Parts: sequence; structure tokens; C-alpha cells
Amino acid sequence: MHSQTKFWLLIALLVATSWAPSAARGVAETGQGPKMASIGPLTFGPDGTLFAADNQGAAIFALDLGAPAATGTPGAKGLDALDEKLAALLGTGAREIAITDLAVHPKTRQVYVAAMRGQGAGAAATLFRIDGTGKIDLVQLSSLKFQSVELPNPPAVNATGRQNPRSNVITDMGFADGRLWVAGLSNEEFASKLRAIPYPFSTVDRGTSVEIYHGNHQQLETRSPVNAFVPYTIDDKPYLLAGYTCTPLVKFPISDLKPGDKVRGTTIAEFGAGNRVLDMIVYRKGNQEFLLSTNNSRGVMKIPTNTFAKATPITTPVQSETAGVPFEKVTSMTGIEQMDKLDDQNVIVLARASSGSVNLQVLPLP
Amino acid sequence: MPVRVLWVAALASVLAGTAACSRSSDASAVPAITLTTPGNGAPAYVALTGLPATAVRALEQGSLTPEQWASVLRVAVSTDAQPMLGNYTVVDGVVRFTPLFPFDQGRQYHVRFEPARLPGGGADAGGVIETTIGRPASTAVPSTVVARVYPSGDIVPENLLRMYVEFSAPMGRKSGVEYIALLDHQGKEIEGAVLPLDYEFWSPDHKRFTVFFDPGRVKKGILPNLQMGRPLAVGRSVTLVVKREWPDENGLPLKQEFRRELRVSATDLDPLDTSAWRIQSPAAGSRDGVVVTFPEPLDHGLLMRALGVARDGKEVEGAIGVDQGETRWTFTPTTPWQPGTYQLLALDILEDLAGNQIGRAFEVDNFDTVDKGPNPETITIPFRVK
Repeated sequence: MHSQTKFWLLIALLVATSWAPSAARGVAETGQGPKMASIGPLTFGPDGTLFAADNQGAAIFALDLGAPAATGTPGAKGLDALDEKLAALLGTGAREIAITDLAVHPKTRQVYVAAMRGQGAGAAATLFRIDGTGKIDLVQLSSLKFQSVELPNPPAVNATGRQNPRSNVITDMGFADGRLWVAGLSNEEFASKLRAIPYPFSTVDRGTSVEIYHGNHQQLETRSPVNAFVPYTIDDKPYLLAGYTCTPLVKFPISDLKPGDKVRGTTIAEFGAGNRVLDMIVYRKGNQEFLLSTNNSRGVMKIPTNTFAKATPITTPVQSETAGVPFEKVTSMTGIEQMDKLDDQNVIVLARASSGSVNLQVLPLP
Repeated sequence: MPVRVLWVAALASVLAGTAACSRSSDASAVPAITLTTPGNGAPAYVALTGLPATAVRALEQGSLTPEQWASVLRVAVSTDAQPMLGNYTVVDGVVRFTPLFPFDQGRQYHVRFEPARLPGGGADAGGVIETTIGRPASTAVPSTVVARVYPSGDIVPENLLRMYVEFSAPMGRKSGVEYIALLDHQGKEIEGAVLPLDYEFWSPDHKRFTVFFDPGRVKKGILPNLQMGRPLAVGRSVTLVVKREWPDENGLPLKQEFRRELRVSATDLDPLDTSAWRIQSPAAGSRDGVVVTFPEPLDHGLLMRALGVARDGKEVEGAIGVDQGETRWTFTPTTPWQPGTYQLLALDILEDLAGNQIGRAFEVDNFDTVDKGPNPETITIPFRVK
């Protein structure tokens, strides 16, 4: 029968439907010798578990560094041209590797550095440890016990869509309140979502949709990406402080971040357009605490946190370049791409020199 | 095991020490270094041959640490670099160094054998040998090209949110932010049009990269707009440039630069309205596609997963096609249509080129209209098959 063509003027039935778009995954796995397609960002749990994101494999790994983690000289020493040194160990040139993150072990204060060797989908994940003498050791991933959890599949309503080219990019992770917090975005959605994963891993929650008022953009945004965040306690209440693209600083009470909910964060600063936060840490100096933030185009900023509790929320358009809580620029720190607090006096950073090489530097906290 | 000597960049040269003429596992042999690759597809390794039997025995029984091994036979990317990581073994009297990762094509590696570091002193193992080894450089010539760019139409809204650049072969890891430029109608580069999100927005096969444009630049009166102006000018042309230097998976540049001229239309601030979609229903018993036509181009990536077909709550299997500049979506079922009512399913995250979603514009000016929750809702649109 030849089909009869009919055009339907459609009436869309907007329903809170029971149809469930496929997002189920979140399967947890345990074993030895994690198979990681990529590595980074990194963050430590308080017990020394190293959490490593695998963006390529759409999974997060909790790595048990085992007895070797207790060896070596405590602390970490800076190394010039770290990229060249790691590349040499991996038998290649600095241009063929990418250092993706660093994290300081909470007990030994040794620094762990993640790097990818090679190009393209076939690149290999590697992990190194640098101790207090500057000795570099390869961490044999194959020897590590691990837990992993898969990130949920993208929402899709057809079989083709479940194999589509969407991928996740985890921009940052942090451990707080017994859970691993994960901020990420995808290559198909300009979206902002925070997920919490209880550790030990069992499932990944549905995520919390977070929205902010972006004073520089003069609008409410649920779809601006979180680039970096750090857990922080304000008035005995745990918060996440999040840095967004172009560059609002936003606080979220952790108690509000419930799976499946929508949460509006409080925007407490605008740090300027055309900018992205690369990393953030919190530290204490004297009697005062500070947030230290490094940015791709606006350098390093030191922000006293004592104003955070009572900071006036930004809910109206901002016409100045920056607004909100006060900060100062740290002009002595340049080219910093990643950082972690090394100890009470020092921060350890990956800094890109004007020559293009990446230096591991130990710097006094400003 | 048969082995094939691949290539040695320079002949080993004896630099110092005693002559290699004392007792050896092969009386005529002298220590020599070669790059060897097994015939079974295993990675190439450095072989140190011609060691005297005493030295071989000492190495086999010595339980050397990696640092001690590297002091005997050091393989590195340069004379002053740390020795590279790998495994040392002794097989049939030959010392093998197999790197942790295969030797790069076209890279020269420095190898140094220092007999004095052998267990027992190596007095009968000859002098220091220094040489360079390496695999031949790849003879591949640049061949990867930009296969297509979405949106595929010639007209984009002033507030275009994203583009997909698809390549003919897998690309390297690097973000495209530094390799993509937009030129205005006079050929001048538009600064800051691409968001500084230098993440690796690759598809899992590294053949599609997503470029995000700055939504903050478009809105009149707000700071990025005041400071930098609007990136695209309505009514003008704009040229997308994908630079040739963007490295592919093999580190090679693209075969050629890619350029495409687009015409800029007015800002699109309207949410998607599914009542403006038209469904061309297929005939029962056929496997003709159900065709959905939209009044404007939609996002290609989302069209591939945010639309589907169901019947009685069960997903229908089939193939999806998108064409006519992303204004037409076709679903061809695996098995023929049955008479009755089917449902077109649409996730409300489906977007147009400016990021407007179903029922929700990208730009929301107040605190009233926001997401209902973190997960998309499904909109159901019935169509009848006769």
C-alpha cells in the first residue's frame, strides 16, 4: 500500500511522563589494576585514597596507593621543567605528554602528578609521585587496588543516542561530608551539574542542578559551567565554593545539594569576563583564612573568606569589571595552572614558564 | 625466538676501556647494542649482545634494582635526561631493555653500556659503548581533513552557542580553542568569540570536537558586550577557520586549512515550540521513515539522541537520519509500522543553534523561569499510522 502523506499540526502533550530517559549506569566495580583510559583531575580523600577521574572512560576511580605510599621522604620538592622530566621517563618529548593535575597526599605531603602520554584516543594514563627530595617515582597503576564507578549515560530516547559522541568532561572533584563531589560538563550541553558519590562507591546520584545569578551576564544561569570548586566551612556549615566561567564565585550549602533537586547558589563575587578559574585552594595565614584562585587570563587572586558568610548576594546586573567580596591580585605568582596546599606555609603549583615548559614549584602561601 | 634487527641510527662505538677480547659466551663476540623488534608484534627492545658468560651469569643472579640496571645499560631520550622507564631481562645471554611505552617513531634514543657497573666489575666485558638508536620516522603525510561542520546550513544566529567540527580521522588530545578562529566580513579575527573552555571536548573516538561560543557577548548593555562588542554582526558574513596546525592522532597537521563562510541572522531568543513541528506520518505496513520537520535548524548532536519513537510506552527500534541543514529528522523503524498511534518522544534538552530548549529560552532574565530539575523531561507527541 502506498503511504498516504499526512501532515499533522501537532499538539504537544507536555507531561510529567513516566517515560524514563536512559541514564542508568553508575555501576560500581572493585578490583586490582584499574584500566584507565585517561587520568585527571585528581583529589585525595582524608584517609589517603586518591580519587582520579577518567573522562575518556566516563568513570571515576578510587585508588588505594597501598604500602608504597608510606615510603620515600615526606613532603615534595619543586622541579624545573617537570614536563620534560616526566616525558623523559616515559621515553618521549615534552610535547607528547600532558600533565592533567596534581594533588598532595594528606599524610605524607608528597605530591602525585597525573599525566597522559601520547596523542589521541590511544594515549596512556600515568601517575607519578614526587617526594621531599624531588625523587620521581612511577606509581604502577597495575598494582593498585581500586574501586570505580561509571558516570551515568547521557539522557537519550533512542538506541542510536546511547552510543552517540557525547562525552563528559569532569572539571573538578572534591571530598567533603563523606562524599566525593564532582563538577562536570559535556560536549553537547552547556550545563552545570554537581554530583555526589558516597564513598565507598555504590552508585552515582542523579545530580543536583545548580543555578546562579551571573551579574556580568545580567541573567540567571543554570547552564554556566563550574570550572573549579573547593569544600569550605562557613559558620560551622559545610559549603562548596564554586568558580564559574567568566567568572562568578558562588557558594552552595552542601545540605541543600540533594539528588534530583535544583539549587540556587549565592553569587558573592564577579571576577571578570573572558576568564576561567583553573584551580582553587583554601588556606589559613595568621588568624585569617583565604581562598586562593588561579585563572587562565586574570592571574592569581587572594580572597579573604571572612566576608563570605555575610556577603551581599549579587542579584542585579553588574556593570563594573569585578564586584562582590574583596580580593587582591597576587602578582608574584604567574602562569599557574594547577595547585594544591602543600603544608601550612606552602602551596605547590604547576606553573607554565614563558618558554612553555611546566615547572613544579613550592611557593610560600601569599 | 627469531628476531629482526630493525634499524640502528649509528654504529656502536667503543669509547674507552679494555678490549673486549677476554672470555665471552661466544668467543668471537664483542658487546654490541641493537634495536630489535620481535616478529610477533611485540614492542621493540634494546638488546645488548656479546657479553661474556661471567657477566651474563652475574646479571642473572644479581637481582639488580631498576637504578642499578639503568647504570649498566642506560636508555634515555638524550644524554642528560633521566633513564626511561622499562623492564630489564636476560634472555639467552642477551640483556633486553623493553620500554614502558613503545619507542616513538622518528625519535633518537641515547644508549650507554657501562661494563664497570656490572656485578663483579665487568672487567672482561669490554669498554663503554655509547650509541643512538631509533625507529624510522613515519612516512605518513598529512591526510586528516575537516569532514563536516555542524550547523551545516549557511545561516547562523547572532547568538550561536556551539559548533561541532568533525574530522576524517581521529585527532590528538589538544583542545581546539587555539586552532579555531572566526573572521569578520573584512577578514579580521574576532577576538574572544570562542569561550576559554580549553577542555578536551572530544567525542570518544576523537573525531568530533565541540566549540562553545560566548553567550555573554551577545546581550546588549552587559559588560562583556560593552567591553568587546558583539562577536557576530547581523546581516554580515563570518568565516570559520580551522587552522592547519591542529595535530591529528599521529601528531601530523591537517592536510589543509578549513574555511567556511556563514551568514549571520538575528538573535534567536525564543524557546523551541513543538507545536510548530510537522510530522509526516508513514503508512502502516511500510518501513518508510516518519519525518519531523522543524521551522529552524536544531542542534545536530542533540537531534541524534533527544528524539525517539515509542509505542505503548516501549521504545521503537530504528535508524535516525538528520538532513536539510538540521531542519529535518527521519526515523526509519527496524520492522514495519503497525496501524495505530505512536509517540514521538522529545527530551526537553533539545536545543536550537542558540541553546534555546523546548519551552525554555537560553537567556532567562529573572528568578521565575528555571529548570524543574536536573534530569530532562520527556515530551510526548502522538502520531497516527494508518
